[in-house]
Amino acid sequence: MSTELLQQAAANNHWGAIAPELLVGCLALLLLVLEIVLPKARHEIIPSVAIVGLLGIIGGFVMNYHSGFIDQTTFNGLLRHTGTGQFMRLFFLLAATGVSVLGVVALKRQVMPKVEFFTITLVVTGAMMLLSQSNHFVMLFVALETITVGFYVLVSYTRTNPLSLEAGLKYLIMGALSSGILLFGIALLYGVAGSQALTASTTDPMNFDALRIFLYANPDNVIAAIGIVLVLSGVAFKIGAVPFQIWIPDVYQGAPTPVTAFLAIASKAAGFAILLTLVTVFDGYQSLVVTVLSVMAMATIIFGNLAALTQHNVKRLIGLSGVSHAGYLMIGVIAAIHVPFAVGAICFYLFAYMLASLAVFGVMTHLAGDDDADQDLDHYTDLAKTHPFLGTVLGVGLGSLAGIPPLAGFMGKLLVFLAAFEAGLYPLLGVAVLGVIISIYYYFGWIKAAFFPQWRPPVMEGDDPIPEPTHQPVSTAAGIVLATAALASIILGFYQGPIGQWLGLG
Amino acid sequence: MMNVGLNEYLTVAVAMFVIGFIGVLVRKNTLVIYMCLELMLVASTIAFVAFSRFNGTMDGNVFVFFILTVAAAEVAVGLAIIVALFRRRQTVQVDELNALKN
Repeated sequence: MSTELLQQAAANNHWGAIAPELLVGCLALLLLVLEIVLPKARHEIIPSVAIVGLLGIIGGFVMNYHSGFIDQTTFNGLLRHTGTGQFMRLFFLLAATGVSVLGVVALKRQVMPKVEFFTITLVVTGAMMLLSQSNHFVMLFVALETITVGFYVLVSYTRTNPLSLEAGLKYLIMGALSSGILLFGIALLYGVAGSQALTASTTDPMNFDALRIFLYANPDNVIAAIGIVLVLSGVAFKIGAVPFQIWIPDVYQGAPTPVTAFLAIASKAAGFAILLTLVTVFDGYQSLVVTVLSVMAMATIIFGNLAALTQHNVKRLIGLSGVSHAGYLMIGVIAAIHVPFAVGAICFYLFAYMLASLAVFGVMTHLAGDDDADQDLDHYTDLAKTHPFLGTVLGVGLGSLAGIPPLAGFMGKLLVFLAAFEAGLYPLLGVAVLGVIISIYYYFGWIKAAFFPQWRPPVMEGDDPIPEPTHQPVSTAAGIVLATAALASIILGFYQGPIGQWLGLG
Repeated sequence: MMNVGLNEYLTVAVAMFVIGFIGVLVRKNTLVIYMCLELMLVASTIAFVAFSRFNGTMDGNVFVFFILTVAAAEVAVGLAIIVALFRRRQTVQVDELNALKN
């Protein structure tokens, strides 16, 4: 390769375009350095460094939100910067901040190394931000694997707890299986798109733009169709869509609560960010993609809601309800093929889901005992009386997840369903509305446990008294995050103003 | 002398992928499941190299290095989890690892 070509390639690398990711990575390294440099007694400040650093990056990112790179490709087509990608980057940064605060609360109870949690969270966040902008299969694969391998460690983080390790092993097997399927799909697409025997074959078959043109020119190639289905299956694992949802309840239950929150919020959103990109790439095979996604969405909504009905462990309950949320979002993805504002609706839905989930997981983190996997609905008895603040936050969060009218979750569902209505997806819409009605039952079961007095068996003499669940005191930082999440859930329900404009919802 | 073409390579790749996939579903020992997962990755690797050779583009060959690196990272983390789990539970059979339930 001549030096001119190398110079040209180097000129194409706009490092400024990925400054937030670079800063997140540097922050992760800084934490490791601080762990070595600081004396043991001062290690408590390291999580604060992570949170303050993230807030600083968010501040800088918001100020440069409309940077000059939007709608450009950089790094020789590896990345494409779009408005949606920009929003997802901010989303992942905010989610990481919330999860870090929850991590501080949860790690206080454990005799575990405390710094690595924040380092890995930051690395995973950086990878998610790159994933949402990827425009090339190499970028997609490497970013996705960085996320997945990071989550293997995070899920099995409390390595003294066999339940956490078991969840880690299950996530490991399922995650590696999905990576294998995704990779074989990529291999098939690469091979077909590069084959010179076919029309419009390309020399850069892993690039999404080149691949899109190829798929348009060859709309009925069997191998390409198999590749597309395999790639979609690999992504469906990440978002937990039926039939690839089997890992969700076990992994959500065994993982430490902040990690469960991170999985529910950020990992799912990353899956949808990449799904939105892939749907446009696979546009030439629209009918196939729509069929696959529609069947998955229907099964996902029905399964998620029905399976959640019988759960008593709140972590399994919220995992399975998250499955049904993935189903609603998939309807939005299908609608996004025809209705442009559906993309904004999905972003708003994800944002509302993040706020509500942070509120609920925040309360769960404070109520968890020493055994993180054992969080039963019974532990929430009389929560509103014994701890009014946590009770209120939980009520708002669950209400928003259920989609009760004045809250943000309702607006999110409304926007996604409106987009689906405009795209004419009536059968899917019917299933979704049915799912929402079912979901109110289990969300209200949880709210009822927290707010209304429960009948208790009278304590006989000689019986062991029922142990009172332990409540952790709410620290200032955690209180701010919980109050912000709850307040924003209420305010965004009434007034979508600036965020709605950002997303082009008008 | 038989001429080995793209189809032969792809047949091997698909066969290995299917063997690996079925192995993950039916085998009970975690380590064997892990070997099957690696088999699936290697199947993709063969497909990439074969396509790369017969289509005359280098991307597939380069991708293989990324796959190898990712597989190494996955094995490092995965075996650590398996060892830690074995220390706690004295077993790596998946049908005995069923403590997580409602």
